[in-house]
Amino acid sequence: MSFPNRLSVSAETFLRQLQSTTRRHFLQGSATGLGALWLASQASGSERHVPEHTADNPQSPLPPPLPAKAKRVIFLHMIGAPSQLELFDYKPELKALDGKECPQSFLEGKRFAFIQGTPRMLGPQYPFAQHGDSGAWVSDRLPEFAQHVDDVCFIKTMQTDQFNHGPAQLMVHTGQARMGYPSIGSWVTYGLGTENTDLPGFIVLLSGGRQPRVGKALWSGGFLPSVYQGVQCRSTGEPVLNIANPNGVTRNERRQMLDTLSRLNERSSREFGDPETLTRIAQYEMAFRMQTAVPQAMDITDEPKHIHEMYGTEPGKQSFANNCLLARRLAEKDVRYIQLFDWGWDSHGAAKSEALNEGFKSKCQQVDRPIAALLTDLKQRDMLKDTLVVWSGEFGRTPMRENRGGTEMKFVGRDHNPGAFTLWMAGGGVKGGTTYGETDAVGYSAAENAVPLRDFHATMMRLLGFAHDTFNYPFQGLDQKLTGVKPARVLEDVIA
Amino acid sequence: MIVDDHRAFRSICRLTRRQVCRVLRGLLLPVILLPGVCASDDGQPKTSGTAEASAAQTIDFSQHVQPILNKHCVACHGGVKQAGEVSFVYRDQVLPPDGWIVEPGDPDASILLQRVLETDLELRMPPPEHGAALSAEDVSVLRQWIAQGAVWEGGHWAYTRPQMPKIPAVKDVLWTRNPIDAFVLKRLEDSGLTPSASAEPVRWLRRVTLDLTGLPPTLSDRHEFLTAVAVDESAAREAVVDRLLADPAFGERWASVWLDQVRYADSRGLGADGRRTIWKYRDWVIAALNADMPFDEFTIKQIAGDLLPAPTIEDLLATAAHRVTQTNEEGGTDDEEFRVAAVVDRVNTTWQAWQGVTFGCVQCHSHPYDPFRHEEYYQFAAFFNNTQDVDLNEDWPVLKTPLNVADYEKASALQSRLQQQQQALWEAEYPFLNTPDHWQKVADLQASTNNRTRITVEQVDGEPQFHTIDTVSRNTDITLSASVPNSMEQLTAVRLTAMPLDPKTAVRDSEWGFVLSHVQVQWIDDTGNAVELPVSRLVIDEPAPFYNPQDSLNPKSNRGFAAYTRIHYPRQAALVLKQPFEVPDTGRLQVVLKHRVHILASFSLITRRGALAVSADSAFTDLLSDESILALRADVAATQKQIGAIKSVAIPVLAERPRHLQRPTHVFERGLFLTKAQKVQAGTPQSLPPLPSLPEGQAPSRLQLAQWLASEDNPLTARVMVNRLWARLFGTGLVATEEDFGSSGEPPSHPQLLDYLAVKFQTRDQWRLKAALKEIVLSATYGQTAKATAQAWQNDPANRLLARGPRFRLSSEMVRDQALAVSGLLSRKMNGPPVHPPIPAGVWKPFQGGDKWPVPKPDNEDRYRRSIYTYTKRSIPYPMFAAFDAPSREFCTPRRLRSNTPLQALMMLNDQTLEECAAALAEQMLSVKGSLRQQVRHGFLQVTLREPDDAEIADLLKLHDVVSSGDEDGVDRGMQAVARLLLNLDEVLMK
Repeated sequence: MSFPNRLSVSAETFLRQLQSTTRRHFLQGSATGLGALWLASQASGSERHVPEHTADNPQSPLPPPLPAKAKRVIFLHMIGAPSQLELFDYKPELKALDGKECPQSFLEGKRFAFIQGTPRMLGPQYPFAQHGDSGAWVSDRLPEFAQHVDDVCFIKTMQTDQFNHGPAQLMVHTGQARMGYPSIGSWVTYGLGTENTDLPGFIVLLSGGRQPRVGKALWSGGFLPSVYQGVQCRSTGEPVLNIANPNGVTRNERRQMLDTLSRLNERSSREFGDPETLTRIAQYEMAFRMQTAVPQAMDITDEPKHIHEMYGTEPGKQSFANNCLLARRLAEKDVRYIQLFDWGWDSHGAAKSEALNEGFKSKCQQVDRPIAALLTDLKQRDMLKDTLVVWSGEFGRTPMRENRGGTEMKFVGRDHNPGAFTLWMAGGGVKGGTTYGETDAVGYSAAENAVPLRDFHATMMRLLGFAHDTFNYPFQGLDQKLTGVKPARVLEDVIA
Repeated sequence: MIVDDHRAFRSICRLTRRQVCRVLRGLLLPVILLPGVCASDDGQPKTSGTAEASAAQTIDFSQHVQPILNKHCVACHGGVKQAGEVSFVYRDQVLPPDGWIVEPGDPDASILLQRVLETDLELRMPPPEHGAALSAEDVSVLRQWIAQGAVWEGGHWAYTRPQMPKIPAVKDVLWTRNPIDAFVLKRLEDSGLTPSASAEPVRWLRRVTLDLTGLPPTLSDRHEFLTAVAVDESAAREAVVDRLLADPAFGERWASVWLDQVRYADSRGLGADGRRTIWKYRDWVIAALNADMPFDEFTIKQIAGDLLPAPTIEDLLATAAHRVTQTNEEGGTDDEEFRVAAVVDRVNTTWQAWQGVTFGCVQCHSHPYDPFRHEEYYQFAAFFNNTQDVDLNEDWPVLKTPLNVADYEKASALQSRLQQQQQALWEAEYPFLNTPDHWQKVADLQASTNNRTRITVEQVDGEPQFHTIDTVSRNTDITLSASVPNSMEQLTAVRLTAMPLDPKTAVRDSEWGFVLSHVQVQWIDDTGNAVELPVSRLVIDEPAPFYNPQDSLNPKSNRGFAAYTRIHYPRQAALVLKQPFEVPDTGRLQVVLKHRVHILASFSLITRRGALAVSADSAFTDLLSDESILALRADVAATQKQIGAIKSVAIPVLAERPRHLQRPTHVFERGLFLTKAQKVQAGTPQSLPPLPSLPEGQAPSRLQLAQWLASEDNPLTARVMVNRLWARLFGTGLVATEEDFGSSGEPPSHPQLLDYLAVKFQTRDQWRLKAALKEIVLSATYGQTAKATAQAWQNDPANRLLARGPRFRLSSEMVRDQALAVSGLLSRKMNGPPVHPPIPAGVWKPFQGGDKWPVPKPDNEDRYRRSIYTYTKRSIPYPMFAAFDAPSREFCTPRRLRSNTPLQALMMLNDQTLEECAAALAEQMLSVKGSLRQQVRHGFLQVTLREPDDAEIADLLKLHDVVSSGDEDGVDRGMQAVARLLLNLDEVLMK
């Protein structure tokens, strides 16, 4: 029996990969039906892509297997699912139907979260106009973002199969509706590692006052080694858990202690010969470097005034604006995957704070300028070309007005709609100034070029230099991958 | 109490097992298993899949042939895709009489050989676009196999019952301490290797103490052991192991292992991830492990404790193992979708935890490699599809579990009495409802509602029924009126039948149910005046419903007669009038059904279809004053009161639905619950031994399933469990893929050792974990030093050959508990509700604001309890555990990965708990009378259990001096730095 010359976490990962690949060499098949589904879920004959990180650093930087357009990702997730019909998907015909009873054909066979009985149609709540050379429609809620549409590719026909927030958010970030699977950021850092040895490769920033409901599951490493899970950084308080020394312990003292610790551990290493000990020494050193690097990266006070004005940032606050500026700083420092979550977009009309005619307005104000600033800033630093910026919710909203409990509600809102939502991408090799997919006359469902989340995932992976079907990991008897078991396609049309 | 029950329980198990054996010997002749059974009957120890079998002489199907088929053929001719209706997963599709691919004894006449040797590329298998031709060696193996008779050796090794292997002869007999060592040494000698020396006694002591109890040894343990070793090393070791196995810490340590398997958490998961009170189950696991409950009994109770005769509180509590599944409390979720998800999870977890098989694949299609067919998944799911629980926030059904374990016995007796009394009362009353002769039809039914819910009446089979149209609004009152038969002189009861909107499809695709919050019966005279006809009692069609149906009579309560969230079948209630109503010549009967319950912020639970009937039978009125029934009602109330008097906590458990309300189980096409195919009956896969035999016509229940899992004939249960024990001790299982014993998993490194341990576990150990563990930890194999050359580490990084002792990082629980223990902070208080040790600021932001994390003050021992008692919230895992690879327990986690990250370093260096440990340890060192050197030595010894050498002491003293130089406030920072360093030593974090 021979053993791979691998160590530590990489050893376990590698061993699993090896066991699985040597066991199964799948033959390419032109199968149809169920078999095809399953076969497609397996690496369809190609070799599995196995990232081979160095022995002492499971996040060592690696080139992707294919030519990549994007080096890093900034993902802006508006938690709660913003209404596409009030922002990007302009539907004049819906305006004409405003207040009319919803045709039964829309209701048959549909499952709703809250709509009861026969609801009424709800026209767009804000005026739209065309912008840029590309003439993209954007509502008056996002005036500053609207000036960037020529850098943006809109996908109007995103679809998901989940109509509740928790499962749908998991679908966006892990490709599965249940907790326990790796998030995109984990896949990416597993595949590419990170070039900055002083910062985590996958950082999560939250705003909006509340956590997403499934919490850490959205940035979990799932069955991948835990080193690839997202690290939540905070713009108030300790930026990373336990990053600060305990009270009274100085950096110098810590250095002394670590020097002594390393000496003692090196002795263990010589005595036992266990390579894991050397890895541990290296990880303690990285932790020490992180103690300086993370607070520095997270401290925006050293940004010039015009930058603060551009983003609308206020140092010391937890805000989406601060997080956008942080995202740029982290991107500059080569953090691989930066995930922002902003809470408060669930516009049912059940409360003032989230209603389309109330709270939604201030949510739009909170994000419009920072997003525009982020795009401007990345562009002026020549970073937009290899930084993929993604904006999305977890599903769309209905063209019907919500009538929870079968009655008219005090505020205006829309229910969950998995059939169509808008996601946009900018930079990172995406074709700017384009729109992909078209919804029906009322924006309820895809009319052409429907894009299930797995196709978006496949596209994103392709931009980062991976073939989504060979980048997989054996778990529970299946070659697991971000795109799941159903066949996924890369949207070549959106790639520049 | 647990211990006392063992004997009786074991005799039940024994009986069952004997029955199973009889069945096997007498009846079992399925094609696939036959050869395996024969091989065992002729007395030859069978060692499937062994590395020793020589390819040149006898070809072994599972070892030599199956890998070739798996590699080259099954992608197209497997379980999922069966091109040309050929599958190499199933014997009967390959060999005669039904198969036509192989002619046993005649290679040249076998299509298999013809096709792989075919020179015409159009015909050759595999086709060139699918892969290269088979190698000459592979072809030669196939040829020899066919020539030797194409014996399909019962398929994959893991699906064949383990047989006790012969203990192999080894050269260095003196090295071996028990049979385990002979198996290990044989493999080493065959590979030209020698075992490592014994670990130093204190290293062995630390290893075995951490392994068995999850805690480090104390200095007095050390002293005692070293004294005893000097007299008789072997006796000293055994005494230590016996002491550790008897320590209650044993149950706490191994409960963690089991809770990973059954995905235990104190929160509900998906959606809002709210708090779930289910910790009594965790305490049950700890108690069962400490009592060394045999694993067969442990299994049966968890899968089907509720179906045992006269189940005790513990039996019922054990079934919570399958109530820790995720619940979706988010508004607007489909209850049935997530109920089904929980059933699926129970099936997958049962297969993972007990069988080490990735049965989850079979949810969507037949297993690609293993002989499990698609419909067999749903046959298995049928065992779990008829529990009462649905995806409810309330977690019903729950068991009132006494807080004090001493009350369990009393509560057990009361619970069984209550169940009998409720059943007796129901059996006395139900016939009145259920006798058609008692009821007469109404005519001219009219229906209206008080809101936007639309309603109409139609004739169905000569009887008027009302039903709603389209979706329904909240708080709907349905007013029904009808004329009663002219001949009717008195009215004594009204029968309400509440139905699904579409009774035909609801049986397979259940609908949202109803709750009758309030019901009124009235008589409307010609002038429209309503006379109230008071209802005294509801008699319904279920003995122990979630809601008390009598609440329908209480206008202050929203509860009452209900199908609750889902309805499959028509449900009935008799509304018995307080006194007979003399029916006037004119006027109409009016019944008002009020519905006030909507769930998940969205779904109204209202009666969507229904009918009325009336009775003139005085029997109903008599029922109200029937003395025997009144006595039964009083009995029920009295028992409920007695149960209520015991301080209890409500714990979710499994309970079976009444027979007449059982859900049918269907195959889901592609695993989707909305597309149901054929109906199936409960059963286990054909390719494994059959269920225990049952009387003619009786369908197998979860109890038979549990007995099947816990049977000696089940080829997987014992192997999977001993492999799990092995893996926790050595870091890697004998089967490294603990989660997959199937043909795509890794073969065992020591197949005979695995079978030895498994058979011994079932027989000599009587399924007792402690006996199994004792033999392993007393082996020379386990006692080896972990020191090895760089070359040895490189050659065998995962230590699969076992040429050295185990060395790997401690689990997250052990990392924390050890720090608390060596610093003297650890509380050994056992059991009870989850605790909330200090947590870094900003972590605890639950979705539900009411879910608090109250950190106990430093003078409260709950701050320093063992890790197993920490509140486990799925969406916010305790940071220290998450950093050290503890799973967040959404699913069964067969094994944990072990990572090595900077976040672990930050946790160990800066976390509040570790900070308190370092301070306490420093205090402890400073309290040692003597020089600074002696104090530092004491700390080192306390933490590592070994004497520091001079260089180590010198380094630590130097650190102390450098750090202390600036001390001004009387705090000895130097000592705290030393303490912190000691807690971070590699040899402390490693076993």
